[in-house]
Amino acid sequence: MAYFLELLISGALTGLMYALVALGFVLIYKSAGVPNLAQGALVMTAGYAVWLVMSWGLPVWAAIPIAGAIMFGFGLVVERLLLRRMVGQPVIMVVMLTLGLEILLRGLVPGILGSAPKPIDLGIDFAPIIIGDVFINRTSLYGGIAALVLVGAALAFFRTRLGTKLRAVSDDHVSSWAVGISVERAIGISWGLAGVAAVVAGALWGSSQGVDWTLSALLFPAVAVVILGGVDSIHGVVLGGILVGVLGTVIPGYLDSVAGGSTRDVVTSLIILLTIMIRPFGMFGREDIERI
Amino acid sequence: MKGGQMNWMRKLALTTALVVGVAGPIHAEEIKFGLLQDFTAVYTFVTGQYNQGQQDYLRLVNEEGGIGGNTFTAIVRDTGNQPQRGIEAYNRAKEEGAILFDFLSTPVSAAILDQAQSDKNVVITPAHGRGDASDGTVFPYVFPMMATYWAQAANLVEYMKQTGGLEGKKIAIVHIDSPFGREPGPILQALSEQEKFEFKAFPYASPGNEQSSAWSEVRRYRPDYVMIWGAGGGQAVSVRTAIQNGIRPEQIHSVIWLAETDAANVGPQMKGVKRFEATASGMDHPIIQRINEKVIAPGKGSGETANVGNSYYNLGVATMAVAVEAARLGAEGGATINGDALKAGFEKIAGYDAEGLMPAITITGADHQGGGAGRVSEWDGEKWVPVSEWHAAYPDLVRKVIEESASHYGK
Repeated sequence: MAYFLELLISGALTGLMYALVALGFVLIYKSAGVPNLAQGALVMTAGYAVWLVMSWGLPVWAAIPIAGAIMFGFGLVVERLLLRRMVGQPVIMVVMLTLGLEILLRGLVPGILGSAPKPIDLGIDFAPIIIGDVFINRTSLYGGIAALVLVGAALAFFRTRLGTKLRAVSDDHVSSWAVGISVERAIGISWGLAGVAAVVAGALWGSSQGVDWTLSALLFPAVAVVILGGVDSIHGVVLGGILVGVLGTVIPGYLDSVAGGSTRDVVTSLIILLTIMIRPFGMFGREDIERI
Repeated sequence: MKGGQMNWMRKLALTTALVVGVAGPIHAEEIKFGLLQDFTAVYTFVTGQYNQGQQDYLRLVNEEGGIGGNTFTAIVRDTGNQPQRGIEAYNRAKEEGAILFDFLSTPVSAAILDQAQSDKNVVITPAHGRGDASDGTVFPYVFPMMATYWAQAANLVEYMKQTGGLEGKKIAIVHIDSPFGREPGPILQALSEQEKFEFKAFPYASPGNEQSSAWSEVRRYRPDYVMIWGAGGGQAVSVRTAIQNGIRPEQIHSVIWLAETDAANVGPQMKGVKRFEATASGMDHPIIQRINEKVIAPGKGSGETANVGNSYYNLGVATMAVAVEAARLGAEGGATINGDALKAGFEKIAGYDAEGLMPAITITGADHQGGGAGRVSEWDGEKWVPVSEWHAAYPDLVRKVIEESASHYGK
């Protein structure tokens, strides 16, 4: 029972860490109506940004907000140079563009800043929190809390005047233009916000494994999270994340030693396939959204 | 860049300088090595420093006059760990006259192995590729030339035996779920029967950025020793998650892919973790000191100075030291250096240790592993410190596994 409980808690917290990555995806979709397949590479880039600022001798509490500003600016640049000319274009071309951006960043950023894993020390204690025979990883715990805080902030943001404008842009670019909303600015802001969310994800995941290209591999579980939770649902990210994390931890916890291999990716793939087949808009997504 | 390494873009750009600059005027013979490696995908954790060491060593040899007037040229290209790109890069480099190839990628090496053998070009596969390529009777042009993963596992197990005993003990092998991760299985099975210990495998999904379920299970298994068998960022996650699950650092024993960068990622808790090493790390070796003096100090190095002397840099240096020694032996008697002569040179290598940088290796027509020696080192908080002597562990058992596997090749 303790083993099951530990897997359950560990999975839920890991899932919330996935939700941190997925949040950027949803922020862009909810604001700009663009499925962003570059979110994994954005997290990797953000991790490099935190490491770079720390390598200048700044403490982590200063490095994270500075990296946040850098990534917000990076999001604006992506919009200005790449996304702006895609406004009004078929969504599939925008998806391909973000896929191209993912591949570009994954090669370019380690190429410039070095491909060996870079350390980020957040000062989180190694010692787990122990309750009975259940061990709880502190990095995952803090990551889970950070995810909940960010999701709460995102929910609040979309209730503001600017957030409402972004939702309008997501619904219909042409109508938004017609009522005087700057679609370009809205899309730029959404990419900037996704960049800020990526900084938190990149710092936490980077502190656990080091910063290198493999951070971009977090796109896969993040996509499972948004498909399950609903690509336009912020609170769906939390529940989707917890479910993906729990299923991807508990099932391998019992099956891996029997199967002789890791079953986690199989579980994640099944979540994606079954959700699309049974409920293509996810648990909390709007039913009229397009399948990506 | 603080603690950084030479990025691959600058490295590739400098390749041109190496080709036309260091080689200088056309000499009696220009021996070309194709270092066609993965700078942008899976092996990025090692390639930059490894390749830097290789290029710097070849520069050193050229600076010191080459071998018998022959100089060396490195052809460096990125394969992205993709067999298709590797094949294309191989064919281009072959046209340019390369006679030795190092892909530092198991899938790329595997894809080109048959063609390279047919072309009679030498492929070196240090610390990667097929372990059974050590059988020179089956793979005449392929030279692992360092301890295979089987020899590494045997070396670690023997160290456990010497330090804490094996009979009745439990070993947990926590590995990335890939052919590389599963590699030690057969040798551990054979050793467990011989030494009467128990072992259990705990796989985790690639690339290893999340391993919590595997380590929860490991903790309940209550192992006496833990072996970690992964690479890159996943290794730091393994060590961190192990310690978070109450595994003492002293219990952790790693495959060769655990280096200074991983120690920096883990932090002070890394102290006490052990790993297999095929080459010594640090600056205190004659070859590394000469590189420092003749290549790095004059500003002719191919990467960040901070990397010189670290584990993967020295590994790269050692690979080229062996290759150059093979060329020297192959050229004896005035022979023209081609693939056949180089192969013959490799098979003449006897007791070569790269001036103490690596264990003495002896390569024969049958044994392309060179004996499979290595040692165990421990992270002391600042550097890797050897805790055993260079030697080959369970050589007969390792050879048996090699021959058994090689016997299935092509069937």
